[in-house]
Amino acid sequence: MSITHEREEELIKAIKQRFPADVKDATVLRQSRIDVTVAPERIVDIAVFLRDKLGFDHPSGVSAVDYNREARFEIVYHLCSVQNKNQRDIVIDLKESVPRNIARAPSLVSVWPGVENYERESLEMFGLRFDGHPHPEKLFLNDNWNGPPPLRKEVRFPTD
Amino acid sequence: MTTTDKPSQTTELQSMSPTEPGAQTMTLSVGPQHSGSGHMRLIVELDGDIIINAMPDPGYVHRGIEKIIELRNIIRSIPVIERPSIIDASNLNHAWVKAIEELQGVEPPARGQYLRCLLNEMNRIMSHLYWLSIYGVFLGHTTMFMWPLGDRELFIDLAERLTGARITYSYLVPGGVRRDLPQGFAEEAIKRTIYFEKRLDEYEKIFFENPLFTSRAKGIGTLSPERAIALGSTGPTLRGSGIDRDLRKDEPYAAYSELDFKVHTRPDGDSYSRAMVHMDEMRESSQLIRQILKRLPSGPVRRKAPIVVPRGEAYARVESARGECSFYMIGEGGDKPYRARYITGSYRNMAAIPEVLKGVRLADMPTSWWSIDYWPVEADR
Repeated sequence: MSITHEREEELIKAIKQRFPADVKDATVLRQSRIDVTVAPERIVDIAVFLRDKLGFDHPSGVSAVDYNREARFEIVYHLCSVQNKNQRDIVIDLKESVPRNIARAPSLVSVWPGVENYERESLEMFGLRFDGHPHPEKLFLNDNWNGPPPLRKEVRFPTD
Repeated sequence: MTTTDKPSQTTELQSMSPTEPGAQTMTLSVGPQHSGSGHMRLIVELDGDIIINAMPDPGYVHRGIEKIIELRNIIRSIPVIERPSIIDASNLNHAWVKAIEELQGVEPPARGQYLRCLLNEMNRIMSHLYWLSIYGVFLGHTTMFMWPLGDRELFIDLAERLTGARITYSYLVPGGVRRDLPQGFAEEAIKRTIYFEKRLDEYEKIFFENPLFTSRAKGIGTLSPERAIALGSTGPTLRGSGIDRDLRKDEPYAAYSELDFKVHTRPDGDSYSRAMVHMDEMRESSQLIRQILKRLPSGPVRRKAPIVVPRGEAYARVESARGECSFYMIGEGGDKPYRARYITGSYRNMAAIPEVLKGVRLADMPTSWWSIDYWPVEADR
């Protein structure tokens, strides 16, 4: 690829320098897209660093992915910058993996209040628990929903 | 799966006893009602008639779209993707095909990119007009309900000529768009945009300068820029708080890097600012339509793209009428995604509802809430 990814590489270098032991993987996925996989135990510190030192002030969403064949869930925080105009196009996917049988991770609501609803949705749809979440309740589902978390891979449609 | 009605959140409602002696506040359940945009409910806590706390209770129009699109091939999913916000179908469709194209490495031809922008901007106007007409309903301004819905037909009719459908187009496909511009479209569209901009002047006189509106919107329902950013607000809600964030400029896609347009912001963060951003954007989109039609390059509108989601992941986003719409897509090499996370502008702006409503009088709740342009179906997906 002829395009260089200087800004992206700089950001990765800064994260790795500050948290050498806790960043498991950090790559430039493509132009303006960065993947950073970290240890769940340190995700809060890393999140604060991303927000305060690197300017990732704008939470754009949280995704949960069920990798059932690997017996793990991946939680992905999609983070952007608004105040730093030079990196408004960049999205950092901050990832952590949790085992399927101990599906819990620290909540990042204290860092970005905007992730509250997404974490609630991950709770009801995947059964992921977020420690420290202010309202760990269902968001979209019926209150009387007793079935399994519906976005888990083992939940199938009757016609599927 | 059972289809029982969504019951009330009993724990919340048990505290609803306005007659209780010594009670300082009252909790009120508003909805679930259809306010012209799908059912949703707000639980508001009142001190007198001042809202001291508001909690959105979404989910009444949840369709499980993230599950559905894991089970269908990427082409069959296109009509499903459009459903959450049929009045903004093209922009949502764009986010979907953009994610697929990023994984496939397919770049649509220039004419296809321009036609995508054309329908996107028409959709932005149609969506804002629908929003405005409901705003008229909320303020008891019948003319403002009738006019925008009537003028929306100008663009619905154009969209039908272009795509064959009035509302849900499924016009964008991986690799480009489904069909080229019909004969005589450009002349007719340019004529209509000029007429439409004259109508916008009339809207301003009859509604946006009317004390009926301004007295219930200026200084009411404020959202500070700092909070708007921290809550992840997007679209006109963020721009209404003075922040010039627009993906069409910040991460230009399709043909937007070649087009001249302004990002409109208003500084005050109140209902009035958010409403005026919608108004300014309609004007901007209208001139963009003319610009696109004048600069439209020749050539094919579509490139061949396989019905495959290659292995890998992509995060694609576009600026839809209500803000950023994004897909986080994970492919495994099959004809459907392993996972496709769908985040829409309304879903993101849901977090701003409690902030905006705090301190607002109950009577001003509909106007403050609606200034966010929160579309329940788009949020629930």
